[in-house]
Amino acid sequence: MSSIETLYIAFFTTGFFVGFGHCMGMCGPIVVSFSLNLRAKGVMAPNLLYHAGRITTYAVLGGVMGASGAFTRITAGIGGLQKGVMIFTGLMIIAMGLGMSGWVPLGRIFSDYCSFEGVIRRGFRKLSGIHSTAAYLPLGMLLGLLPCGPVYTALVAAARAGMEIQNSFKAVLAGMGLMAAFGIGTVPALLMVARLTGMGWLRSRDMIYKIGSVLMIAVGIYFVVKGIRF
Amino acid sequence: MLTSGVKKVIHRGRMAFLQAGGGVFRMLFVGMFLLSMVAHDVPARAAENDHSALVNCDIQHTSCTQELSDTQVVLDISPKPVKAMTDLTFRIILTGKQPKAVPYIDLGMPGMKMGPNRVSLQSVGNGVYEGTGIIVRCPSGKKVWKATVAVPNMGTAEFIFDVIY
Repeated sequence: MSSIETLYIAFFTTGFFVGFGHCMGMCGPIVVSFSLNLRAKGVMAPNLLYHAGRITTYAVLGGVMGASGAFTRITAGIGGLQKGVMIFTGLMIIAMGLGMSGWVPLGRIFSDYCSFEGVIRRGFRKLSGIHSTAAYLPLGMLLGLLPCGPVYTALVAAARAGMEIQNSFKAVLAGMGLMAAFGIGTVPALLMVARLTGMGWLRSRDMIYKIGSVLMIAVGIYFVVKGIRF
Repeated sequence: MLTSGVKKVIHRGRMAFLQAGGGVFRMLFVGMFLLSMVAHDVPARAAENDHSALVNCDIQHTSCTQELSDTQVVLDISPKPVKAMTDLTFRIILTGKQPKAVPYIDLGMPGMKMGPNRVSLQSVGNGVYEGTGIIVRCPSGKKVWKATVAVPNMGTAEFIFDVIY
């Protein structure tokens, strides 16, 4: 077995164990929020698309790291974007929570009183009503940029692996493959969370949804605050 | 006839019980995950305090020393202040009994899995080893990091210190 094949296995294994040891706690609430938002719809297809999007972003970042070997320069460059993604994620979860609760008709309020009503109303409706399965792919791609310690660690290793490969094209492929292997490794843990929180069985229990909404809003606020402080 | 009726009742009861049990379990699960994020700051602060108590190295200002059987292990990281997400130079100085193979450093956080982050070292002579590495930033805000220096055939020395984000 070549050294790069060994690295693929190492990255996948790392992703698998980090998934259960880290991602379930840190990213689990995002997956739970999606599952709550999906309500009675099947959670598996949207979640798989979300992870596919996330892995695509990891692979692209891995390719860039593999080619350049410049971890610190690139992460410094995308720091502002990551901050924005974290705040966006928080706002999206808040909107999903508000949309799910049905307490605050934000869409109507904004449409009645704001001069730039259309934009806000459409934005809110889009954020709170991400029920389309296909939407989870681009969402995963965007949220793949969320700042995350283990992803950084994997990117450092991908950059190092790329530096050891002389051929630039092969370095890009290695970086992409390694980060994809890492991302795939994290999927089982998060899919398990999604599967356990599939809410089809709660179809008629509004109170549970209301409690879930409050928790989602709290999670969203947490992300926004963390994003601002990042 | 009676048996079949009883069986049906038992079956329905069992299904209702399983459904209710599953429901409670799932509710607890959902609540636990959402709350874990919201309340993360509270235990994070508590854990941070606990981990702060583990700090045994003032790497921001000086090098740190530990004894490993017959060998003294000195760790230094530069440039200072030691910041996350920057290229850092790790230096190990071993005095006393020398190892047969080159030591290495594993970076991690106490109580949080961050993935394997190894700093490979090279000998620069006289028991001095150097290598470059990066301490990544944890978005949770925790700043206590651990450098585990592994000296082949001798054991490991753990240096726990604060990093600036």
